Amino acid sequence: MAVNRVEAPPLAVDIRRLPRTLPWYAEVWVDMLRRKPLGTIGGAIVLVMLAAAVFAGVLTPYGFAETNLRERFVMTSGIHWLGTDQIGRDEATRILYGARISLYVGFGAVALGSTLATALGIFSAYWGGRVDLFLQRAVDAWMAFPPLLILMSIMSLLTPGVLNITLVLGVNFGIQNSRIVRGMALSIRENTYIESARAMGSGHARVTLVHILPNVLPTIIVVATTGLSTVILTEASLSFLGLGVPPPYPTWGGMLSLTGLDHMYRAPWLAIWPAAALSLAVFGFNMLGDALRDLLDPRLKGG
Amino acid sequence: MRQYVLRRLALAVPTLVLVSVIVFSIMRLMPGDVVIRMVEGHAYAPTVEALRKELGLDRPAHTQYLEWIGGIVLRGDFGSSYWTRQPIWDEFIRRFPITLELAGLTILTSVVIGVLVGIVSAVRQDTASDYVGRILAILALSVPYFGLAVLVVVLPSIYFKWTPIWTYVPFTTHPLENLKIMIVPALVFGVTRAGPIMRIMRSALLDVLRQDYIRTAWSKGLPERAIVLRHALKNALIPVVSLIGLQTPLYIGGSVIIEAIFRLPGIGLFFFEALTRLDYPVVQSVNLIVAAMVVGLNLAIDLSYAFLDPRIRYR
Repeated sequence: MAVNRVEAPPLAVDIRRLPRTLPWYAEVWVDMLRRKPLGTIGGAIVLVMLAAAVFAGVLTPYGFAETNLRERFVMTSGIHWLGTDQIGRDEATRILYGARISLYVGFGAVALGSTLATALGIFSAYWGGRVDLFLQRAVDAWMAFPPLLILMSIMSLLTPGVLNITLVLGVNFGIQNSRIVRGMALSIRENTYIESARAMGSGHARVTLVHILPNVLPTIIVVATTGLSTVILTEASLSFLGLGVPPPYPTWGGMLSLTGLDHMYRAPWLAIWPAAALSLAVFGFNMLGDALRDLLDPRLKGG
Repeated sequence: MRQYVLRRLALAVPTLVLVSVIVFSIMRLMPGDVVIRMVEGHAYAPTVEALRKELGLDRPAHTQYLEWIGGIVLRGDFGSSYWTRQPIWDEFIRRFPITLELAGLTILTSVVIGVLVGIVSAVRQDTASDYVGRILAILALSVPYFGLAVLVVVLPSIYFKWTPIWTYVPFTTHPLENLKIMIVPALVFGVTRAGPIMRIMRSALLDVLRQDYIRTAWSKGLPERAIVLRHALKNALIPVVSLIGLQTPLYIGGSVIIEAIFRLPGIGLFFFEALTRLDYPVVQSVNLIVAAMVVGLNLAIDLSYAFLDPRIRYR
């Protein structure tokens, strides 16, 4: 059997030979920068912060609690770029390690909270009836507390520490956001494909995990990314009040705290650098979160 | 309308009962014992057991809970502080005006700035002033209020020899002096809270300005000022009001930090001091009162929509 071979006509311009202006990895950035300029800047800040947190031990020759009483209150110098504090600890080192704590608590609490919100939200919506009614009244009650007040109350009773604050912030994040997941799950539950899955004999586990969960996932990702900056800010507020991560661990909130106020009059950079680092981080996460929200779930788009 | 109000009030009751159960359980289940501290550090009683008995902590938890709630419901008695033995409600009422004034001035600041910048941004969309406004909003969102507050306390005192006034003067004894004290914390807090208000004002106004009745107003030949301020603004303010309502818990939570920094003897400082001394009854009752206020305020805001938008009718 003869096969008719048709030769492809030669391309007028071989696109493979066109000079590429930028390597692909740079073009991705340019493209993102064009479409979501603030989001890209935010993403870059988050990446820098991640690098600072991961490589803090390599980036600086000092330890975060390493004191040097001969070099106290240095404003700036060749070996202490951001100066030193009242007991000669290197400020730049403490800012770097501070990023580590902020990210640890931030990601930890958001991961825990998102899981909890998903489980609670889907369970409440799927089960419905009295269980749903009771759970939602409990969520109502929890949301009536100003978050900072109830978190302060709980933290004052626990031993301060990274683990405890992560757990407490995570549980709070989970309860607060379970409402959003529940709303999504409620509307998904009414779809006909859920009904047909059930008709085909799918059990509760299969319906919730295979049919509901994947549809709620984009919302959860959006909730998690936009929530990161709030969680980081709340951790900083609690550490600021002395109810978060205790010294000697450097946290940005703790470095700003009132106990160091007397030293700040003498060395204002002790207030400026942590405030700047915290603002930059919150800015970065805010912008990245907003951009991801627009891309993943345009319905939630805000002003 | 009346039925709606009654139904909402009835729904608030189980919420408040749960609120009280939650806060009571948290305060009792967690480790950290105030009695030991009171006896060993401050010799309030000869033995831990004696003080426990005196404070009624030796009885079962449900008895204590019922006594606490019973006192509130039947006699309006919110209990007394362990340390000072002063009734909590009296102290709360004495300090409440300070926090209310701070919150009022803060909301005023953030609304004035947020609404003004939001209007300019929306009306002059995609011009230089719009971009400046939006960048300011993003900055306000990013700078934490307590960081800004610390900088405002520290920097001017170094470079301009200016400090906030540390001794509090009540509004009733000297209104002008009082405002001079309150204005700095309110500005600091209000400026950082103006960001979200500006963003929501801008997007709501942009939305309203594209509606048919605004086009009608233009075609009638009304001046821009009248269209924006008289026709568009009122409808665009609804999301702003609901945002302020949603953010009230944040204002209350933030007042703890602001009052601690600027040494204002309000509810926030009362709460914070009680917290550091593990004064359960105070922490418990302040949480409950504030939560009840939040529930009430949310109801009031829902009802205020009817005034702002006559199309909304409750049944």
